[in-house]
Amino acid sequence: MSQLTFETINTTVLDTLSRPGKTYWSIIALLFCGTLLGASCWIYQIFAGVGVAGMNTPVHWGTYLINFVFWVGIAHSGTLISAILFLFRAGWRNPIARAAETMTVFAVCIAGLFPLIHLGRVWLVFYMLPIPNQRTLWPNFQSPLIFDVVAISTYLTVSVLFWYTGLVPDLAIIRDRSQGVRKKIFKVLSLGWSGRTGQWINYSRGYLLFAGLATPLVISVHSVVSWDFALSVVPGWHTTIFAPYFVAGAIHSGLAMVLTLSIPLRKIFKFEALITMDVLENIAKTIVFTGIIVGFSYGTELFIAWYSRNIIEMETFWWRAFGHYAPEYWVMVICNTVIPLLYLFKKIRTHIIPLFVISIFINIGMWFERFVIIVGSVAHDFLPNAWGHYRPTFVEVGILVGAFCLFFFLFLLFVKHLPSVSMTEMKEIIHKTE
Amino acid sequence: MTRDAIIVTGLFKTQEETLAAVEKIQGKGFQVTEVHSPIPSSSLARALGTKKSKVGWFTLIGGIIGFFSGFSLAVFTATRWSLIVSGKPIISWIPFFVIGFEFTILFAVLGNVLGIVAQVGFPDPDYEKNYDPECSGSMYGIEVVSTPEDADRLRDLLDRTGSLKQQRENK
Repeated sequence: MSQLTFETINTTVLDTLSRPGKTYWSIIALLFCGTLLGASCWIYQIFAGVGVAGMNTPVHWGTYLINFVFWVGIAHSGTLISAILFLFRAGWRNPIARAAETMTVFAVCIAGLFPLIHLGRVWLVFYMLPIPNQRTLWPNFQSPLIFDVVAISTYLTVSVLFWYTGLVPDLAIIRDRSQGVRKKIFKVLSLGWSGRTGQWINYSRGYLLFAGLATPLVISVHSVVSWDFALSVVPGWHTTIFAPYFVAGAIHSGLAMVLTLSIPLRKIFKFEALITMDVLENIAKTIVFTGIIVGFSYGTELFIAWYSRNIIEMETFWWRAFGHYAPEYWVMVICNTVIPLLYLFKKIRTHIIPLFVISIFINIGMWFERFVIIVGSVAHDFLPNAWGHYRPTFVEVGILVGAFCLFFFLFLLFVKHLPSVSMTEMKEIIHKTE
Repeated sequence: MTRDAIIVTGLFKTQEETLAAVEKIQGKGFQVTEVHSPIPSSSLARALGTKKSKVGWFTLIGGIIGFFSGFSLAVFTATRWSLIVSGKPIISWIPFFVIGFEFTILFAVLGNVLGIVAQVGFPDPDYEKNYDPECSGSMYGIEVVSTPEDADRLRDLLDRTGSLKQQRENK
């Protein structure tokens, strides 16, 4: 960090905005095709009906809601890094804060698509909104599903505004080093920022308040998501541990996704001086911490089921571990709690390849966690004659692939068109360390 | 500031040099009206006597409006049909508090953004006036008011404080 100057930070970050080559556009085209695949599957489902998905009695919540919870979870870590660690004055979050915030914005947008896809008749989405209508029908605000509509809409609005506010001083840097149309565009986007002392005073206060407001919001949003399950009476869902368990899981998966994105970003854009190994190591250490919380939650669920002596709860958790979905359950346990412990070894957490590979395992494990929670409970609830299995169809798999492609497509567009590392926040760190 | 007053600007490399220059220039009886910097600085703000931010008031008012709006919306909609769902009272305080909470955050953030826009002065189409593009990247620029007669003395002073570049503009 010591060799960095304000000018080298500008140059390093602004170099990433140079005209991209053929490889970049080829990857963008490939991801766009993947996104089109997902969109085609959704269009097919709209025309053919939601029956083309694998959801059927007793499993009416399938891949779509698994993806919804997964992407909301991914989003949360962005807010953890940009808001919560900002309040704790953790300097190591500065180089990755912008990428994490951007990840939040895109992940929430993608998460928000899944309830619409799950609806089937997407044109009836306005039933969920409090819009005055002829029949004077209103949403039931006692329902956790409506809490979710309010919480996710709030989260999306706050994340976008927080992200854009943080970008403004950096947009001014690009504006001052551009010519022609590009300058005109950034002139509008930077809103006339000139770094006056009065501007900084108000901006810094506003940014601090943003962080202060985003912190309870992020905790409330994933708690609300968990209540979609916990406020029902389904065995395996109806438990008070769900809110903290979901929040910890969300941060766990999000941090892993930050590593998955930051490591290639650092390599491709030669950000080694900005996103140092210390930064990656700190993320790995935080993953160990969240992994232990997640592992403790898995254990607590089993303990509560056993200690309650409730035969239905005990059967549910026994079936999760040794029943039809046992492979998914053990993938979840191993990827989320055992593999992250490898980060306890300094050699592993300071080496790029194991850091990256383990982050991928955690992403996979966290997707399966949502599978186990959602499908594993409704497939095997109270009545043995109503038990059944669920397998996603090609439509659901296509939409899943499309969602991942859309996420990486948007992220790749972002890294070549806007600064992926906050120049201003980096300068603040080096000014403090000087 | 009189009508014929002019603004002389100087550019500095570091925050410490800028702060020292501001204090020296103020000591010689000139008024430093503005500093442009690439990062926020509380010491520069103190030296200029910049007033405390009022953005928090916008946020607070937004939050209060949000809480009552969210809670009232939930109560209003529930009482349109007064239909008991799952044995819960028509006006259920606990679930409606969740709606109130989310609206509190939403409106507080909207208030915060409004506060930033109003207090920072976004959008500012005249930002280029007395502004050096170097100030967004790595330099610190100061604006000093002077009468035309004192302009040369001020330029000398800026030179002696280490200013790298000077410009003058009529205010």
